[in-house]
Amino acid sequence: MIDPELVQEVLREALATGGRFAEVFAEVRASTTIRLDNGRIEEVVAGGDRGAGIRVLYGDAQAYAFTNRLDATSLREAARTAAGAVRRGGAGAGAVADLRAAPPVRHEVERPAAEIPREWKVAWLGEAEEAARALDPSVRQVLIAYTDSLQRVLIASSDGRLAREERPRIRLVAQVVAVRDGVIQTGFEGPAGATGAELFDRRPPAETGRLAARVAVAMLDGRPSPAGEMPVVLGPGGGGVLFHEACGHGLEADHIQKDASVFKGRQGERLASPLVTGVDDGSVPEAWGTNAFDDEGMPTQRTVLFDEGRLVGQLYDRLRAEHDGVPSTGNGRRQSYAHLPVPRMTNSYILAGSTRPEDVVASTPRGLYARTLGGGQVNPANGDFVFGVAEGYLIEDGRITAPVRGANLIGNGPAILAAIDAVADDFDTRDGVCGKEGQGVPVSNGSPTLRIARMTVGGTDV
Amino acid sequence: MSDLTDLCARAVEAAAGDEQVEAYATASRSLEVRVRGGEVEALTSAETRGLGIRVIAGGRVGYAYEADPSPEEVPALVASAREGARFAEPDPANELPALEPVEPLPGLFDPALAAAPTERKVALAVDLERAAVSAHPKVRKVERASYGDSAVRVAVASTRGGPLEHERADCWVSVAALAERGDETQAGFDFAVARSLESLAWERAAGGAAERAARLLGGVKPATERLPVILDPAAAASFLSVLAGSLSAEAVQKGRSPLAPLVGERVASDLVSLVDDGRLLEGPGAAPFDDEGVATGRTALVEDGVLRGFLHNQTTAARAGIRSTGNAGRNSYRTVPGVTPTNLFFAPGSESPEALLARAGRAVYVQEVSGLHSGASSVSGDFSVGAAGLRVEGGALAEPLREMTIASTLLDVLKAIAGVGSDLRFFPFGGALGAPTVLVGEMTVAGT
Repeated sequence: MIDPELVQEVLREALATGGRFAEVFAEVRASTTIRLDNGRIEEVVAGGDRGAGIRVLYGDAQAYAFTNRLDATSLREAARTAAGAVRRGGAGAGAVADLRAAPPVRHEVERPAAEIPREWKVAWLGEAEEAARALDPSVRQVLIAYTDSLQRVLIASSDGRLAREERPRIRLVAQVVAVRDGVIQTGFEGPAGATGAELFDRRPPAETGRLAARVAVAMLDGRPSPAGEMPVVLGPGGGGVLFHEACGHGLEADHIQKDASVFKGRQGERLASPLVTGVDDGSVPEAWGTNAFDDEGMPTQRTVLFDEGRLVGQLYDRLRAEHDGVPSTGNGRRQSYAHLPVPRMTNSYILAGSTRPEDVVASTPRGLYARTLGGGQVNPANGDFVFGVAEGYLIEDGRITAPVRGANLIGNGPAILAAIDAVADDFDTRDGVCGKEGQGVPVSNGSPTLRIARMTVGGTDV
Repeated sequence: MSDLTDLCARAVEAAAGDEQVEAYATASRSLEVRVRGGEVEALTSAETRGLGIRVIAGGRVGYAYEADPSPEEVPALVASAREGARFAEPDPANELPALEPVEPLPGLFDPALAAAPTERKVALAVDLERAAVSAHPKVRKVERASYGDSAVRVAVASTRGGPLEHERADCWVSVAALAERGDETQAGFDFAVARSLESLAWERAAGGAAERAARLLGGVKPATERLPVILDPAAAASFLSVLAGSLSAEAVQKGRSPLAPLVGERVASDLVSLVDDGRLLEGPGAAPFDDEGVATGRTALVEDGVLRGFLHNQTTAARAGIRSTGNAGRNSYRTVPGVTPTNLFFAPGSESPEALLARAGRAVYVQEVSGLHSGASSVSGDFSVGAAGLRVEGGALAEPLREMTIASTLLDVLKAIAGVGSDLRFFPFGGALGAPTVLVGEMTVAGT
């Protein structure tokens, strides 16, 4: 992509005005996107992206310049622009170490998406749509979107790090609208992986279509959700979304260092129920949030955040790790060359317990069963959050009964973690795109079935 | 001919047979400065270019894009789009608009903004942070204070005409202030957008963020009940962002809008008028032509509570047998044009926000909603979202409220609107959305 000698030269240029550290992040990305809407392939899009960002650190400040030209002239100009933001000429200027290349990583992929004919990809979308429609006559609209990409990155820094990786990604998403007697409901399913077409052996397109349709159809019979405080059982995977939103963001070191996290100063405390062990792991093979290196060239790793309820970890990128005098946890991520890296989750999981999921429900006299959560939002400063419930049911006398709609869950991260009183053994994951500071990165969230002893449910049925 | 129109011309020349080829090229420069503790925390400077090619052959659409291609690479990009079109279903509504000369819209590009030295912009960001932390005794720091600007050139040409080209420049500040009391921290956001540094209302944004953070301190959960709700302009604009999806003809034609069968009918209280106006210079979404080269204009969507129509691009308009409303939109050169608002806003009423509060008496004032993207659906119209705000007692703002949700359906809210304020303000999300303070007769507010 870029000759290592040129990289070295660009790094030197970037440090010429007194920066203490410089980094080049360059990428070339090829992608295919196909959309099927109501039985019609609407678009087939072939995309080519490329660009490089050059970062210079001086003190705690960062200067960044990016361009989508990868030739020597443009890279040098970007380096000079970034260097030009540094106004402290000379003092503490960093030197550029000789680059030590880590072996380039190519993920083991059995069937790379780039080698699969477009005809086959188009057929996957058709299978998903057909299965969604076959589920129930109320299925009115089906949207299927397929995307694959291969991102080649080169990350080099003035401390001598040089990482190269080819990152394959593939995803199929189904969105279904069901209509009956004037009631409209939607369903969503979107499995994804850092892998090739073998993803669809585990998650066949037809199953994805069917699962999305099931949610929409089930919710047609939904009554307005009850509102108020009650026990809430989260279905497998749903607790992972909660963990991501309500705790994971508050454990990103940038929030903590800005005093904008409810977890600030609480390392070592038992904040969660002893049933809760939570990790972030960017190295899970083939998972959607996985990379060999983070976007600063650090190897990814498994970081334990909660160990049997005790807060024991947080997520670092380079800058925030330096600030605390610890190694980066390999969580420096960015959407593309056009973005500065920030601490981000990768694959964040609450690990499985030992209770059977049916026993969790059976021991709940009355409450809400949230089988699938929609997205959510959290204020990391105080831990308050809200989640939509995409598929919810009442629990009555220890049984899952009537579907309810319009529910959402409102609460506070640490308070909810402490209130978890049952963790089942049926671990599952949900794949998504997490947004922070205007950057979307692929993440997966995972958990088994969980019960929160009491939390606020918002709904329309007072 | 500019560098962009040259790229576009290469694409149009590469058209084969009777296929239609459209080229959309952009070039942008941008700067963003983030400060903390009086120092620059991050400064980002960028220069990017790209080209998107749409080929329509026999009603089938194919698309390809490339970041910063050379003129020599353009024919291969056209071939890639053509190859994609083979797999798409034909639709006679897939056609490119005729590109006619467009009335220019002066005032979108201030050369002084691009020419202003970076030092001045950094100083502005530092002043912004200082203003936020000195605006209120409970606010001693910010989570973020940023200044940004961008200058974008856009060119469109096709086998049906052009090239068209325009240039715009915008600057903005955004600030998230943190208010503290004991262990409690509350965040408050505000921002300003303008087309020149002189008209950028950064001091108002700083004061607004501080005030919005400080007044949430000490919040309590409300009891669950039905009450009048007052949405401040930011919260009302958030709801409008969900409604915007229902006003897109694309959603309507695909059966994804609860408004689809209601044209000509009353969908809102007679106080409500919704307008989209791409030539309104006060709105940050103004542009002379849309993202497929059709002139922008003014579209009345709801007039005095009656639904009049929807937003269209060329394809949805062809399907409906009408003219495009100039609402083709793309996120970037990477995407096929969809339908997006330009400046979509609630036409302001005559009452001040204070008068609305006085009229409501006992109510809940909402300054922020969260979880809208998950808790609200423009398809079904149902929503249930988290909210932060204050109680209204005796017509005045009283104690703060936290961990509350408000739930209803979009159509019920529109019909229950009992007052529209005079304080219209634009927000740069989802195109540009504008709303004044809005009084809703009754909604379910859940807490405890």
